[in-house]
Amino acid sequence: MELLKPDLTIIARSEVFPHLLTGTLTQIPCQPFIQHIIRIVQAPINRTASFPASSLIMYDPYCSISRDKWHKRRKTGGRIPQLRKKRKFELGRPAANTRIGSHRVHTIRTMGGNKKYRALRLDTGNFSWGSEAISRKTRIIDVVYNASNNELVRTKTLVKSCIVQVDATPFRQWYEAHYAKPLGRKQGVKLSEAEDAVLKKLDGASKKLKKKYAEREKTAKVDHALEEEFSTGRVLAKVASRPGQCGRCDGYVLEGKELEFYTRKLKTKKGK
Amino acid sequence: MGTVDHMQWLSLLADHWFRRGAWVKNLPGQPTKIKTERSFQRQPNVFLNNKKHLLSGKGKKNLRYFKNVGLGFKTPREAIDGTYIDRKCPFTGNVSIRGRILSGVVTKMKMQRTIVIRRDFLHYVKKYNRFEKRHKNMSVHLSPCFRDVALGDVVTVGECRPLSKTVRFNVLKVTKGASGSKKGFSKF
Repeated sequence: MELLKPDLTIIARSEVFPHLLTGTLTQIPCQPFIQHIIRIVQAPINRTASFPASSLIMYDPYCSISRDKWHKRRKTGGRIPQLRKKRKFELGRPAANTRIGSHRVHTIRTMGGNKKYRALRLDTGNFSWGSEAISRKTRIIDVVYNASNNELVRTKTLVKSCIVQVDATPFRQWYEAHYAKPLGRKQGVKLSEAEDAVLKKLDGASKKLKKKYAEREKTAKVDHALEEEFSTGRVLAKVASRPGQCGRCDGYVLEGKELEFYTRKLKTKKGK
Repeated sequence: MGTVDHMQWLSLLADHWFRRGAWVKNLPGQPTKIKTERSFQRQPNVFLNNKKHLLSGKGKKNLRYFKNVGLGFKTPREAIDGTYIDRKCPFTGNVSIRGRILSGVVTKMKMQRTIVIRRDFLHYVKKYNRFEKRHKNMSVHLSPCFRDVALGDVVTVGECRPLSKTVRFNVLKVTKGASGSKKGFSKF
């Protein structure tokens, strides 16, 4: 990290911005500058070995984002005079804006030497199906709704508590193996041999096995709304982890009242 | 401030019931405005999607988490039976009451789910051997389980973790104030 500043100023001066001959990093607004640099660096230009893309950290640790309280006014409305300069423990870092794409996660050294995993692109997550109490790693297909900001839906940004569409096949596979019943299968569609074998498992099975599956059948019913989702191959889920902090996009499949709430929201949005 | 037309009130109520959380005009006596919620309101400690619960139709009543805040404060009926979701409520949310227990008089109820109370006290001036009146205002979180709170009510508040920039206390008990003016000095 301490190598970053000198590296970027070299680029600024010599190659990329010849007109910024005297510019140092602190004099240029960081965010757009760094993103511009990254765009250039990622282009296939023969850069020197002193500038590998993996060490390109997307922030300046002393950027103008700070989480201090003394810039705010008091409850009475009075100003607070500045007592001190910005401190390192008050720092803030630019947002991750995690998108859907092939896995890209950067490690960040935080206060105390600890790590944060800033996910920049994610494509899979561990989603749990609450009522069945199982979790499966699935592909994230699309961001569908965000309660805070429609912009984040448009840019397909993964954040905690956004509603995503997730690939339903691992859950369906588990269900069919666990209950030996089809889930969300369309009528008259021919299944592959392997899938068929799973569903027909009980045909030549022992009495004990049949008894086990008969027990399971008692709780095998899946809510109608969820079954419909399975037939389309995509299931709505809510992200419950913070991708910009832990580098993972995990969550849970929407069911029951929550599913009803969000499908209604999506319908009204589509209706508009 | 005239009376609200009966039909108008009924239609507003119907609006509220059929669309979860529609805008409700600030009816006299109702301190809170309800906004249309953009995200599903739920208590994080309650698992709503228990399979048996989902399939067998609704249980006798909705699953609800509530707790006893301790220190002898009774959790209100409305907190246990109600359907509101408030994560800053001391009875149904994620705040614990610890530290100071204070009381004050309600002066303003214009904020959403939080009120301003006034605490009066006497300050002794040694030189003159006498007291002077002083007061401090305090913003305090008011859970939706306390429904009939009016200006001038005496309110017991307990300290909790910071809930916002200025709110560190949470209403635990409301006692009807005498109909004295709120501006008057009342010592307790």
